[in-house]
Amino acid sequence: MKQNEVIIRVAGAAGDGVQSAGEILIRTFARSGLYATSYNYYQDIIRGGESWYQVRASDEKVKNQGDGLDVLIALNLDGVERHTNPEINEGGASPLGKDGVAIFDSSIKNYTKRETNYCPIPLSDIASKYSKNPLLKNTVGLGAAIAAIGIDFDILAGVIRDQFGKKGDIAEANVKAAKEGYDYYLANYKPLGKKFKYGKKKYMLSGGMSVALGAVAGGLKMYVAYPMTPASSALHFLAQHAKKYGVFVKIPEDEISAINTTIGANYAGVRAMTGSSGGGFALMTEAVGLAGMTEVPIVIYEAQRPGPSTGLPTKTEQGDLNQVLGASQGDFPRIVFAPGDIEEAFYITREAMNLAEKYQTPVFVMSDLYLAEHYDTLDGLDLNFKIDNGERAKDNEEDYKRYLITDTGISPRAIPGQAGLMHNEDSDEHNEYGDVVSDAITNPIDRIKMMQKRMRKLDTYIEEMPPTPTYKISDAEYVIIQWGSTKGAVEEAIDILRSKGIKIGAIEVKNVFPLNPDIGSLLKNRKKIFAVENNYSGQLSKYIAAQFLIKPELITKYDGEAFYPGALANEIEIRIGKKKEVIKE
Amino acid sequence: MNDYKNKRVPPDWCPGCGNFAQLSAITMALAELKIDPKDVVVASGIGCSSNMPEFLNTYGYHGLHGRLLPFASGVKWANSKLTVIAYGGDGDGFFEGTQHFFHTAKRNVDITYMVSDNQVFGLTTGQASPTAPIGLRTKTTPDGNIETPFNPITFALNAGATFVARGFSGDIKHLKELTVKAIKHKGFSFIDVLSPCVTWNKENSYEYFRPRVYHLEGNDVTNFDQAYKLGLEWGDKIPIGVFYEVERPTYEDLDEVLKDGPLIDQKIHQLTEDDLEEFA
Repeated sequence: MKQNEVIIRVAGAAGDGVQSAGEILIRTFARSGLYATSYNYYQDIIRGGESWYQVRASDEKVKNQGDGLDVLIALNLDGVERHTNPEINEGGASPLGKDGVAIFDSSIKNYTKRETNYCPIPLSDIASKYSKNPLLKNTVGLGAAIAAIGIDFDILAGVIRDQFGKKGDIAEANVKAAKEGYDYYLANYKPLGKKFKYGKKKYMLSGGMSVALGAVAGGLKMYVAYPMTPASSALHFLAQHAKKYGVFVKIPEDEISAINTTIGANYAGVRAMTGSSGGGFALMTEAVGLAGMTEVPIVIYEAQRPGPSTGLPTKTEQGDLNQVLGASQGDFPRIVFAPGDIEEAFYITREAMNLAEKYQTPVFVMSDLYLAEHYDTLDGLDLNFKIDNGERAKDNEEDYKRYLITDTGISPRAIPGQAGLMHNEDSDEHNEYGDVVSDAITNPIDRIKMMQKRMRKLDTYIEEMPPTPTYKISDAEYVIIQWGSTKGAVEEAIDILRSKGIKIGAIEVKNVFPLNPDIGSLLKNRKKIFAVENNYSGQLSKYIAAQFLIKPELITKYDGEAFYPGALANEIEIRIGKKKEVIKE
Repeated sequence: MNDYKNKRVPPDWCPGCGNFAQLSAITMALAELKIDPKDVVVASGIGCSSNMPEFLNTYGYHGLHGRLLPFASGVKWANSKLTVIAYGGDGDGFFEGTQHFFHTAKRNVDITYMVSDNQVFGLTTGQASPTAPIGLRTKTTPDGNIETPFNPITFALNAGATFVARGFSGDIKHLKELTVKAIKHKGFSFIDVLSPCVTWNKENSYEYFRPRVYHLEGNDVTNFDQAYKLGLEWGDKIPIGVFYEVERPTYEDLDEVLKDGPLIDQKIHQLTEDDLEEFA
């Protein structure tokens, strides 16, 4: 167990306030000047069922939920049993070991004693002194946990006050209850003896918030989306900030309406975006091609969850790549991004807003439940950015051709309201003016020219693509291909393997479509190439294999949970023959 | 009026198609209202009628089957200074587009929705549409249609449309007047246009409608019950004209962001370090 790191888990039934307790914790760490990240394990029910929320904090950057567990706050018997039982690795997470402390209500008695420091605290009794609301016992538990970890109590008190800001008495009752939990722990049990170097306070965002904030930074003025987990975190954030940021937010009747409304707004010259998850996005696919054909900019946020169909609504997976790459009939240019962490989610979405307008075509930002819903800390964000509206036609341009054939594939746009540039944009194949070529006179030459013009945008875009990001790749004998939210676990697994002398690195496929041609050279002359994907069939891997004629070895996970770095490192060690597989009966 | 017609592309509808009358009604109405062609967006779905934007010298967008209203709403919400006309067909708007029709009317988005209603699918060669009368024989109903026809007037009223009218392609002058009123109306305006398909629907022809249609006169357009009753009238006598017109704030008037003026004119929010403090 590292001294400058702590992993803490709040466990209980849905409705017990597990998530809000977890969020108070991560904010407390962030304000203390520690880096922190979270992991939310929950089920698709509003009340009941077991859930847990894990926070990992350190004075060094934390890239994922980590391995191990130091502190458990269990809100019921099941929580104590589940997370102290070495036989149960829920979602791949390690249970509490002999060095850890388990904090729970003294009234919970019938647990099986294992090698762990059990710290019963009269959570309910203390809570009942301050409020009739049973949820107050969480606050007592938080106070105790903060004492165990050794964080300044005043920081927790500040976070609690902000959380309950509008309800003055309730806030004070919570602070007092937390203090009593804090004092009780110190009077009866031993702190963990953690030693952190506290830095400057951090900012805290979820992936969904970060995508939304990035869009705002990129000039977003309209967000139209139908609710669907896990895309909803962006929708909620924007709805709550609509007035402040001047963003019009609307839930329409369905996803079909959402994307067509978004196309309408972009056509009219306003930066608009839509978002959904797999099933909702499936409904949008016809309109994706419409934007491609009529060359209207659009940014689509696609937050994946396990499928097919309704799948696992509250779990994570990267299984929609085929769907995004194949959305809509025919060939047309699209750009697909997969940010690997919360910071990238901000910068990529912001850039996506410019690229959509520059290339006048659909741009996707793909995330997944893990990235969208977990909170992470940031030191800050670079807010310098220039909005680029791409090529626009000048008013009253003579003989204006909306779909002018150019070397770059990009034609100057006209926006309704501009004088003398009136034209028709058509979902049918059309000529340079936008006149339909399929009806009166079938014109195969116009069709060929127009297809080539549109597709040329991809060649133009490939020219300006930044290099593929890599991790410890210069001397690597083994290379992992990775995309999206697996980034943190992959990088940490690489650190674990490197500490054992294994020369391994990774490439991060941030530009999922089109692929960066530099991938070919990055993968050359390696002993073995692995592809780590949070899906069954290795969707990205197959697509890279086809383009670069390579055969990556797949490491997949499709149980609905994110990768854990320790387990991943172990798996790779076995695959490269440095370690024997231990088969459990 | 010529200013509103695309001089490069002449309409390619069948000779005698009811859509010609609507093309005239739209261009005449825009001319009468002196709306600059640059400030007009005509959005359409898919079908014969939906080729309309191509024949106009305004901003036009020929989108997807049934999806013209969400598109048109997006345009209006982006730039409320524009005159937005959504133009589609009965197959387009009352089948796949039904729920968009309902919700756009309910929201009272300030757009004009004109439907060329010929009771059949034209472009896909004459299948029964949602407004096909019982007994109509088509390619898909060889034994005659057995499904109760969709009533666009009562549907629009139920949805909360603030302007509901019916026109007839055989009466261009009247249709132009309706179009003028619909464009002037602030809020969602709906005109169902009885528009014969001379190729695929031999039953509901000009000759069928001409003796049956009569102009609504003296009806209290603010009386919902009366409008609804008139909306149910169909048979030997078919009313055309304005059934219902009331004032109600539009979606744009009420939304916290849109009420500050056209979105396109609003400044883009520049994120600052102060904004980030919220996340500390």
